[in-house]
Amino acid sequence: MLKFLVDTHHNLCIKCKGCMAICKNYNKTPKGVNRIQVVTINEGQPGQLNIPIMCLHCNDPPCMKVCPVKAIYKREDGIVLVDKDKCIGCGYCAWACPFGAPQFPEGGAFGSKGKMDKCTYCVLPFEPERDEKGNVIYRDPVPRCALICPCETILAGEMKEITKKLRERVGALTASKIESLFLF
Amino acid sequence: MKLKMTRRDFLKTSAVGLAVASGLIKFAKADIFKKAEEEQKKLEEKGYKLVKTICTGCAVGCGLLAVVKDDQWLWVEPWINNPINRGKLCCKGASANYIVHSPRRLKYPMIKRNGKWEKISWDEALEIIAKKLWEIRQKYGPDALFFAGSAKVSTEMAYLQRKFMAFWGSNNIDHQARICHSTTVAGLGNTFGYGAMNNNFNDMRNSRAIIFLSNPAEAHPVSFYHIYKAKERGAVLIACDPRFSRTAAVSDVYVRFRPGTDIALIMGICHELVKNGWYCPDYVEKRTYGFDYFKEEVLKDDYSPENVEKITGVPADLIRKVAQILAKNRPATLQYAMGATQHVTGSQNIRSFAILQLLIGCVGRPGGGVNAFRGHDNVQGATDMCVLSHSLPAYYGLSEKAWKHWCRVWNVDYEWIKSRFSSEEMMHKKGFTMSRFAVGATAEKYGWKLDQPSPIKAIIWWGHSTASIGDLKLVKEAFESVELLVVVDPFVETAAALPERKDGIIILPACTEYESEGFVTNSARQIQWRNKVVNPRYESKPDMWILFKLVEKLDKYDPGLYAKFTANFGGKSPEEIRPEEVWDKEVMVGCISIGMLGQKSWRIKRQQEYDYTFSEEDCRSYGGPCKGEYWGLPWPCWNDKHPGTPILYRDDIPVWEGGHDFRVKWGPKAPDGKSLLSGVNPQNEIYVNGVKWLFAIGETFEEYLDKNMLPSGRGRARFYAWNMKDPLPKIREPIYSPRLDLVSRYPTYEDEKYGKFHFRVKIKGRSWQIAWLKANVVDIFPLVWTSGRQVEHMGGGAETRSNPILAELQPEMYVEINPKTAMERGIRDGDLVAVVSPRSLEYDDTPAYIIVKARVTPSVPEWLVFTPFHWAGQFQGKPYLDRFPVTNDMDTRPIVYGDSCNIVNPPGWDPETQMQATKSGICNVVRADKLQEFLSQYRSKIEKLKAELRKMKVME
Ligand code: SF4
Ligand code: SF4
Ligand code: SF4
Repeated sequence: MLKFLVDTHHNLCIKCKGCMAICKNYNKTPKGVNRIQVVTINEGQPGQLNIPIMCLHCNDPPCMKVCPVKAIYKREDGIVLVDKDKCIGCGYCAWACPFGAPQFPEGGAFGSKGKMDKCTYCVLPFEPERDEKGNVIYRDPVPRCALICPCETILAGEMKEITKKLRERVGALTASKIESLFLF
Repeated sequence: MKLKMTRRDFLKTSAVGLAVASGLIKFAKADIFKKAEEEQKKLEEKGYKLVKTICTGCAVGCGLLAVVKDDQWLWVEPWINNPINRGKLCCKGASANYIVHSPRRLKYPMIKRNGKWEKISWDEALEIIAKKLWEIRQKYGPDALFFAGSAKVSTEMAYLQRKFMAFWGSNNIDHQARICHSTTVAGLGNTFGYGAMNNNFNDMRNSRAIIFLSNPAEAHPVSFYHIYKAKERGAVLIACDPRFSRTAAVSDVYVRFRPGTDIALIMGICHELVKNGWYCPDYVEKRTYGFDYFKEEVLKDDYSPENVEKITGVPADLIRKVAQILAKNRPATLQYAMGATQHVTGSQNIRSFAILQLLIGCVGRPGGGVNAFRGHDNVQGATDMCVLSHSLPAYYGLSEKAWKHWCRVWNVDYEWIKSRFSSEEMMHKKGFTMSRFAVGATAEKYGWKLDQPSPIKAIIWWGHSTASIGDLKLVKEAFESVELLVVVDPFVETAAALPERKDGIIILPACTEYESEGFVTNSARQIQWRNKVVNPRYESKPDMWILFKLVEKLDKYDPGLYAKFTANFGGKSPEEIRPEEVWDKEVMVGCISIGMLGQKSWRIKRQQEYDYTFSEEDCRSYGGPCKGEYWGLPWPCWNDKHPGTPILYRDDIPVWEGGHDFRVKWGPKAPDGKSLLSGVNPQNEIYVNGVKWLFAIGETFEEYLDKNMLPSGRGRARFYAWNMKDPLPKIREPIYSPRLDLVSRYPTYEDEKYGKFHFRVKIKGRSWQIAWLKANVVDIFPLVWTSGRQVEHMGGGAETRSNPILAELQPEMYVEINPKTAMERGIRDGDLVAVVSPRSLEYDDTPAYIIVKARVTPSVPEWLVFTPFHWAGQFQGKPYLDRFPVTNDMDTRPIVYGDSCNIVNPPGWDPETQMQATKSGICNVVRADKLQEFLSQYRSKIEKLKAELRKMKVME
């Protein structure tokens, strides 16, 4: 099962916005549509935490449940996608998603919000490519944001790989914290 | 040929085998990185080209892969095998293609005539420029031209800029390094012998404590890839910053101090280290000079934590805590950037850092060093090539010996070069600097004195930003006063739009760095080859072509100039001369002083090909044809077999392995008779057959290296630098200090320290401060002003503010202000406010101000405000977008714009390098609609300061 894990346990993200820029670049999302966004809590004070937020490809996606036209589906490998041909732009998914992942381009027609767009684990850009027969071409699931994040805040891949990486990190960082307890 | 191919292939396969065996291709084995490489391979099979190139966003020097099809750059892929960044990127690198494909590019040369921008051809443009330059030269002499060079161009192009001015016959050339790290060169150079970042980004993972004196989270984001490795291994991160920055937010200890009090803070820490015996006596004894002088000074009461608290605002206990951390966590490294360098005491700030690192024995060892994080992608290269008014390339200075050395490299007659100058005296006289050239151009209008026969009458502005220069009001006037202003840039740089003039401006579209090729040197002295990604867009041209073409045009008036300028390139045409030729035939021949000898183009390119054999731990190659080499062959790299020196001054490994030592730069003996040779293996500078190493052209130094000797000698680092204006760092208040109570105890430099003239202009120090003291206007300017970077933008922002992605991610200029301070002034988040400072009253009637949005945040304390400096397009509240060229097929107006904060910077210049003061100013913030009220309410006070400044003749 492919997953994301944003490491908020260790205050890592420096808000360099590399993830936001590469996502826009690779997936060619228009102005205003950000499949990943970095939010900050406690800005300017101790306890400040930057958190990149994107679709977490939930195990049991709330957005999928509320979609009246069943435009949202979960692939076998875990990736949650929206079928833009079906989407009517009602925006229910945006209400249901706890992370604000669903995005809508500026100005849809007749009060509709336009077709929903969100993180596709990099398998589909904003305007999906199609082959000669008109079938959508899916790219490999290689999440660009996780690849380029300098702080390795965003962990991605198979769940067991993520847990392994996180275990190592927790071990190392906790040990370093313990060491510094002996400082004084 | 065939044989060579097979040999290469063999090497390649064996290198891969080796690399895999030694676990070097770590990422290739792991999960998504492996998938990414597979996908990249598939792309290549599908006919996409993946071009290795280097980000232009900052001096980390991240590699990236450009995905290209049909000469269009489609997106950016991570270059996973580049050891510096392993594919990691911040938003600037991740959106690099949008600079090339920006809708706001300058497409063709333009000229301003009768108030209108007109399109002209390259030929006509260069013809007009050449003719006018020649006229100006005939009428006013060669010194009437000021050339602003660039840290954005490649290293060999920067070199050519310097060479051009040498052939033109003037030292009036300067570039960004003057106002970014000139004080680093003075501070570190005078302590260790060389003035560059000691270690490298990767090496920071070996540190046990990291002191931040800048905000790398925003200015050098990818350095955090290595910094977090250090953290995982137990390093303590200490952030020292007036503002609670993003770096502070992820650090373990936060030290908030008042801008401009770096020396007090660092010397306070040193005081504790010395007092408690927590320093490294062994190291001090063996490798340094002058500790006793330092000890006497630092143990004074001035530097006790209690007194330092009074000056800096840092609690005494916190200072003790930091000292304690440094006592127990070594190696420690210290990094800094503009926040430390851009002060009147800039050179001494850096000296204090160097001294702290010497005390704890952390210079010249992995995980240690004084790491000056530089700004532009090639500012180290441009600094090394000395696009600077006080030196010829490679820091040779302007002495007769230096000129003769370079004339030999250039293959021209010394007497001829001499004849190009208005007099021999002018040949050895330092030229105008970026910080004060504006005085040189406006002197006539104000009756200011200059140390040259004529004022500046023409300016060539080549890849330099305007927004980063202080006293911007005067800079604007300078652009308006000259007869000819030539601006060369991929975008319309502010210099072309800011001046309110009807004609006399020509703008030339240089292509971006991604459309040309060349060598770039990152902050850590690592040299990388930047491939051309796509062909130049529209009518834009590579910088090198433009320069050679200009010389060719000048040749018409100045017969023989082109042949002499290209003597080493066999009279080829501008189109034919390759960057590699300039590099191998001149740069690699003449730059002996910094050991830029062995980084031949074929070696640098070979490294790029075998990138996967380099380790990210120590940047060394462990297999294949580059085996043993360090990535980027950081200087000194003494010859074609030398691996480069990734860590300067490391005396515990052989020179052949990258060993080094402090340079013997001030003779073998100090004035007090003490030896300046290293205690380990004393060795003076090398003389080859009676010729000092610096001038031994063609020498490979191999036999000396075999004996573990260094051309630059094995010397000692200096605690005490007798030749500097302050031999030891000394607390000095900023000129416009908010603490009048401290000014008499810690005054700024006396006027005399600047001499009769300082880089051809009059500079005063103490006189300004006395006027400030007498006027006593701190009550109406109670806030401290500082400035800095936004992660999305770069320098003056001409490129990034026209990059659609970056413009969307950061569309705004603002001033950060504390909630309480804002509330007192009736300011809410998002309100338009005026930041008013007492600047420019020395020549103008109204104080300088900017109109920006308020960003209310507790990251700044109540007494501080912060503004980013990348902004332009608006001047004191008035947008001037209408002065950017717009035609039916071109719109050059930046996508986002704002007021330039350096209008309000305080006066003050470093006496060593003329660094401007752009980090510790003074101001007030009022609601924009209350500005006039504020100005009239305090008219008399402002007049008082104006009168005092004129009484003290600060500009005369
Ligand atoms: S790339 Fe990583 S560090 Fe940078 S903003 Fe995104 S999550 Fe944060
Ligand atoms: S996985 Fe791809 S689509 Fe999703 S947020 Fe990251 S970069 Fe964007
Ligand atoms: S701007 Fe600097 S840190 Fe960011 S990608 Fe470019 S070189 Fe790397």
